[in-house]
Amino acid sequence: MKVFEIAAGRAGDKGDALDLTIVARDEAAYEVLERTLTADAVKAALDRVAPGPVTRYPVPGLLALKFVAPQALPGGVYASLHAGLHWQKAAIWVLLEMEVEGGLGSVCK
Amino acid sequence: MVAPFAFSVGCGAGFAGDRIDPAVALARSGQVDAIGLECLAERTIVPAIRARAANPEAGADPRLRRRLTPLLPPARQNGCKIISNLGAANPPAAGRAIAALARELDCQGMRIAAVEGDDVTGLLNHIAWTEKLDGQLIGAHAYIGADALVGPLAEGADVVVCGRAADSALFAAPLLPHLDGSPDSLAAALTIGHLLECSGQLTGGNFEGPGEPPLTAEELANLGYPLAHVMADGSAELTILDGAPGRVDRMTCTVQLLYEVHDPAAYITPDAIVDFTTVRFQQIGRNRVRMTGPTHRGVPPTLKVSGFVARRGIIADIEIGFAGTGAYERTRRAADTLRLRLSDWPETNIRIDIVGVNSILGGASVPTNALPAEARLHVSAICTDEAHALIVEDEVYALTLSGPAAGAGVRSERRARIDTLTGFIPRELVKPTVHWSVA
Repeated sequence: MKVFEIAAGRAGDKGDALDLTIVARDEAAYEVLERTLTADAVKAALDRVAPGPVTRYPVPGLLALKFVAPQALPGGVYASLHAGLHWQKAAIWVLLEMEVEGGLGSVCK
Repeated sequence: MVAPFAFSVGCGAGFAGDRIDPAVALARSGQVDAIGLECLAERTIVPAIRARAANPEAGADPRLRRRLTPLLPPARQNGCKIISNLGAANPPAAGRAIAALARELDCQGMRIAAVEGDDVTGLLNHIAWTEKLDGQLIGAHAYIGADALVGPLAEGADVVVCGRAADSALFAAPLLPHLDGSPDSLAAALTIGHLLECSGQLTGGNFEGPGEPPLTAEELANLGYPLAHVMADGSAELTILDGAPGRVDRMTCTVQLLYEVHDPAAYITPDAIVDFTTVRFQQIGRNRVRMTGPTHRGVPPTLKVSGFVARRGIIADIEIGFAGTGAYERTRRAADTLRLRLSDWPETNIRIDIVGVNSILGGASVPTNALPAEARLHVSAICTDEAHALIVEDEVYALTLSGPAAGAGVRSERRARIDTLTGFIPRELVKPTVHWSVA
């Protein structure tokens, strides 16, 4: 199962930092995501497009996880050599495509 | 029970180029007491600074007339205040232009307050930058808070126009006089501002929920922009106008609440540090969500400053496309050809990839088995000057004669290299002033 099957997300930026938000559809989904999307796992997934350290902020009260990668966008979004401007808005798909444990269907329905 | 709302505020724009009609719909509805227009992204101010340097009456948002012409009459008719940062690098000129526009629109007597003082380029010695200044500084602007916008509203301004201000402050300022004055009500006003400041991002734009049908093209084309009905304690109901398409629920609200805030326990604004981890959303109706609980965690001793540095050189961004059977293979061969032609460029200064395959997420793109019917080779390169950019542009164009068959659809653009710097300045050094214009 992929993250996007049980969560929504959005990518943003501030200066050199990439800022990623994942919101689970319910508590069961949050538990799975909280277990699976560790800072290390997210760092490894981002490594091929935006390498560098990742800090994770769990927000259980909002069923959300935040990830901040402070060195992912060197020089800010306008210094990027990706095609066009603001590639980082699509960066949330790196997380949404990650695999998580399956078998949630019966729990969440 | 009819909820005793203290005040209602809507968002009419979330960036300089945002749609015009949603703000007009909000003003006509009579359901909001104020509309915030967020029109100044971090770097939007750079062309404005340059325009003002060339002409002392220039430097405001060039879309001022287009945005405000349909908006001022219904706003005046319904007593709806307008608060915007579209003053950009020249709020006093924006104030004069708005007053002149109001006269043209038969809105005589409208009072426009222009708030100036965010420009701290003259206080460079007092700014602590988080990194070294490398290049020519174009300008430095501090983020002013809602506290600088509340005064003119209290003195009867119909429109408040400023330059750099915290986005959330544009929406919090008209609320504050109607709240109970507690620290947490200030935190709530700033939270509401943050939720509203990106317009359609709160109401289903830039959003896809798990396992649910996304908004249709027709819904997205007519997306309602958000409004908040606010109680005296700062709790609020977030919604869209009746009949407007969109989606306001726990998920759209949570995704926007946490958007670009980094540490959710410390959303730092000029007026207060706000803890979002205590916020709760409750669905109380279709497209209607109740927000409670943000916590005030103190006042930051400094204001954030954005500085802009022009760096030597430009980025050239060029594409050439291929179509027909074998399009992807020819695009890859074109990319390999170009790598050989440009092999003396330092790797860190050039990027070659394929649009439709890996030009956005690079190595993190998920491979597909289906070959694209068309593909485009993309190259971006950091060039020392225009002549240097022409070399890489010419190399791509030369592929039409000496590359794989039928290279087509060539396009190119050049972008200035401007770095954004973050700094901090003691708040007492930033002293906003107000310039009044009357239509």
